[in-house]
Amino acid sequence: MLILVLGLALGTAFGALLQLSGASSHTKIVNALRLKDLTIMKLILMAIGVGLMGVHLLDLFGLANMKVKELYLLGIVIAGGIFGVGFALTGYCPGTALAACAEGKPDAWVTVMGGLCGALAFAFLFPEVEESLMTIGRYGPVTIPDAIGIHGIWIAMPLGMACIWLAARLPNSGGAR
Amino acid sequence: MKKNIPNRPDTSHEDASPVLPWWAGGIGIGLVLIVAVALVQPIGVSAQYVVLDGVLLHAVLPDIASTSPYLAKTAQGWTLATYEFFFVLGIPLGALVAAMATARFTTRVVPVEWRRRFGSNPGNRLVWSFLGGFLLLFGARFGGGCTSGHMISGISQLAISSFVFSAALFISGIVTARLLYRDGASRC
Repeated sequence: MLILVLGLALGTAFGALLQLSGASSHTKIVNALRLKDLTIMKLILMAIGVGLMGVHLLDLFGLANMKVKELYLLGIVIAGGIFGVGFALTGYCPGTALAACAEGKPDAWVTVMGGLCGALAFAFLFPEVEESLMTIGRYGPVTIPDAIGIHGIWIAMPLGMACIWLAARLPNSGGAR
Repeated sequence: MKKNIPNRPDTSHEDASPVLPWWAGGIGIGLVLIVAVALVQPIGVSAQYVVLDGVLLHAVLPDIASTSPYLAKTAQGWTLATYEFFFVLGIPLGALVAAMATARFTTRVVPVEWRRRFGSNPGNRLVWSFLGGFLLLFGARFGGGCTSGHMISGISQLAISSFVFSAALFISGIVTARLLYRDGASRC
């Protein structure tokens, strides 16, 4: 029961932050992808920078509950490619679409319905996809520090700072507009 | 940026500009991730679409739902009473409160950039939103995560698959957006 309340509280904070930061705006996302308004890129870089350092500091003290996603090279590239087309078309990602729904945007509702169908389609295609596309370049849940053989903190700290530095350096608008 | 144009009231709330600066929003999202990793696990959204699918399908056609091992595994126990689902449930809740509190609630169907390129036909926008949503979640489940799970959580854990997914996502998204919303030669 307590865990459900915690989930709801964290999700609520996340949803509010997405909304207030403009991440649930089609215009903001599309113009980020057109490299015309880099606010969303700066937002993501900042979040990753803070996340990298915080997560690995926790990990240093053995307090991080990590959950690393599997690498299957070919499948991941195709999947990212498909996702990118959907991202540009809708102007939402699976999380911000839910935030945009709550803001009253009907196109986000339809995006979520399409998403439920897409997820269901994948669920029923999964056995075939797993046996074919997900076997090529399969390495399991690997991280960069695993591959090199050092503790993650040595990469997370400089990379995290670099992300924050880059976020601060990027202009708000890229080129036109 | 914050000026309202009085003679175009239909667009004054359109995709309103952010009220939080990028750095504040970024720190906030980073902190949500850190708290989640400390207390439970990294954040993620897209798997819960499968969970909702599974629970709904299992309620209506349990035999068909059970034929998909992926569905049965993701929607374990056919229940929505999980930490993960409640996290995702919180997203629209938080967004609703935030939009209400800042008077940025809007029922526009066709976003500005879409209208500029493809006109104001709502049917057109809705059909493409549905198809886009389909691709979005198909891609996310195929890749094992979305912007939250792969990009924010995954890169923060230095997962190689998340770097690959994010790179592919951005290359594809940028190419698609530039082709899709291309400006006419007159404006640039």
